[in-house]
Amino acid sequence: MDVSGILASQASKYKSIAVEKDVPLEVDVGSLSATDLNPIEEEGYKIDLEEGLQNTARDGVQALISALFQLPTQSTADGPLAMLPPPKTLLPRAKPLPKPKPPTKWERFAAAKGIQKTKKDKKVWDEVRQEWVNRWGMRGKNKEKEEQWITEVRANADIDHDPVKAARDERKARVAKNEKQQVQNLGRAAGGTRSDRKQEIVKTLASSRISTASMGKFDKKLDGEKKLRGVKRKFDPTEEPGESEKKKSLALISKIDREGPSKQSRHNHAGKSDDVLNVRKAVRIASKGKGGVALGRELGGGNRPNVRGGRGGNSKRGGKR
Amino acid sequence: MLRTVKPRNARSKRALVAREPKEVEDTRTAVFVKGTHTGEILNNAMKELMSLKRPNAIAFSKKNAVRPFEDPSPLEFWAGKNDASLFVVGQSTKKRPDGLTFVRTFDGKVLDMCELGVDKFVSMAEFKTPKSTPGHRPLMHFASELFDTHPRFIQVKSLLLDFFGSEVIDGIHLAGIEHVISVSLAPTPSTLNNATQAIPGLSDESSDDTKNLPKIHIRTYTLRLLSSGTRVPRVELAPMGPSLDLSLRRHRPPDPEMWKAAMRRPKLKKQDIEKGLGKKKKNLDTDEMGDLRGRVHVGKQDLDKLQTRKMKGLKRGPVESGSSDEEDEEGQKKSKRPKAS
Repeated sequence: MDVSGILASQASKYKSIAVEKDVPLEVDVGSLSATDLNPIEEEGYKIDLEEGLQNTARDGVQALISALFQLPTQSTADGPLAMLPPPKTLLPRAKPLPKPKPPTKWERFAAAKGIQKTKKDKKVWDEVRQEWVNRWGMRGKNKEKEEQWITEVRANADIDHDPVKAARDERKARVAKNEKQQVQNLGRAAGGTRSDRKQEIVKTLASSRISTASMGKFDKKLDGEKKLRGVKRKFDPTEEPGESEKKKSLALISKIDREGPSKQSRHNHAGKSDDVLNVRKAVRIASKGKGGVALGRELGGGNRPNVRGGRGGNSKRGGKR
Repeated sequence: MLRTVKPRNARSKRALVAREPKEVEDTRTAVFVKGTHTGEILNNAMKELMSLKRPNAIAFSKKNAVRPFEDPSPLEFWAGKNDASLFVVGQSTKKRPDGLTFVRTFDGKVLDMCELGVDKFVSMAEFKTPKSTPGHRPLMHFASELFDTHPRFIQVKSLLLDFFGSEVIDGIHLAGIEHVISVSLAPTPSTLNNATQAIPGLSDESSDDTKNLPKIHIRTYTLRLLSSGTRVPRVELAPMGPSLDLSLRRHRPPDPEMWKAAMRRPKLKKQDIEKGLGKKKKNLDTDEMGDLRGRVHVGKQDLDKLQTRKMKGLKRGPVESGSSDEEDEEGQKKSKRPKAS
């Protein structure tokens, strides 16, 4: 059976959807664009501009639409969506890439020590009430001591000791400490050294002191507040006795000649080092304020009675409780 | 220490967070600025370009003494104020009548600029045809080989593509495709062909000399999808307007350092890579059930060494003249010996 005739008649009903060009069209489905790299014909352009433009546009759009209709689809509530691949033509960004958040002091410490972050639930189980309550916030577990109707007080407590107020003050102090740490973290993230920040505070204080109508003349003075002074320029005398000039020059030469960095600069360098551990503080805590030498003697010296004495102290403290 | 603006309430905090840099960016907002003098043509052209760009467009209705090529600082100020990264500045002077300057910014600084003179403008109202719905994503069509070769036209293509379709989307409703913006050029002049091919050193000069460069024709058409007997429909176009004939004028290419920073891409996430973005993992894909399927590649089989059925008639004869054959046979025997033992 010859069906070519039927096929031909069927095909003639519809116009062709094929696009034939010398240079194949560059279709970028991801950015919904098509580029026709064939040179524009001079004749068609001169004879009928609009017609020619529309024909080239139609061919390009036909190629793009054909590519779009062959994409995999995904059905959504609004109808089928054609899933687009990422665009091939790269366009510049409008803003730089987002920077990662600088780690807080705790995060740096935890990373150095290998402490894993554990996520706490917002709700905790209350044995007394037999229900889940907030860890903090409205009727929070952290306010338990303040809200209980009876509180144990030591026999030797002050007469005006208010256990509810004490508990509340303790909680508020924790909040304040956390807020202070947040501010410090923000400051650290913004950059700048400690001395820079100090200098800025001094400057702000100085300018705020003279920012009243009387330029600070009739302001209330605090105890021990120093008088505000401007910076006085100081110059060395133009003529100097030979002795002192010689001294200065020799001092300069010896500074150049000296080997290694000065104590001052070494100290500065140590301060700037990127250690998350504050060694001095760690030694102070470990030796209970006695210093590194005492700690070394205690551990390495093997002075038996001394160690025993330490233990005895601990047990005593345990007894007090 | 830098002073940081701290939001005073939740609403302003949300607004500040929305302006922060994001990994996947929003659509660029365009600001349409009128210069000290704009004629009727420019006013209408900007109005209609804005109607194509809506809703990501802001119009400055008052006149502004702004000269982008001499001093781009007001644009940079507006970019920060309006959270916009595209500008269209209309300015008509005696020396450069009806000029539209397209400006693109990166990080609040001007990235590149291109001035186009409007030679002819036909408004949307003059075509009595259906119009597209505002906010629908247009298709883009570029026609000329210069969009791939000539630096000026590469910039124009990048600018226009950024202007109308910068947002990366991962899916589109095919019935929502309503219009196409077609950008084509006049025939390439023979001087341009020769200059760019023969003397590459002169290409900079030729790009500065805008008189030789062909005109740009921007046309907007609405689509009609007709059935074609197959799954893919046949496309017919109808002019919608606006249509613009533009000629290239001054430009400022992007600073290479800035361009490099602007083209930096975010590191792709693991799930995106599995989906097929970025570096693709070979021979792995996910089937419809969501199971990972691997294809194992076996090396090409050497059919010459294939052991077929052994038959007496196919055996190589033991007596064959020539010393080399004998050596071969000895070699074979040697190799066979360990197997036999």
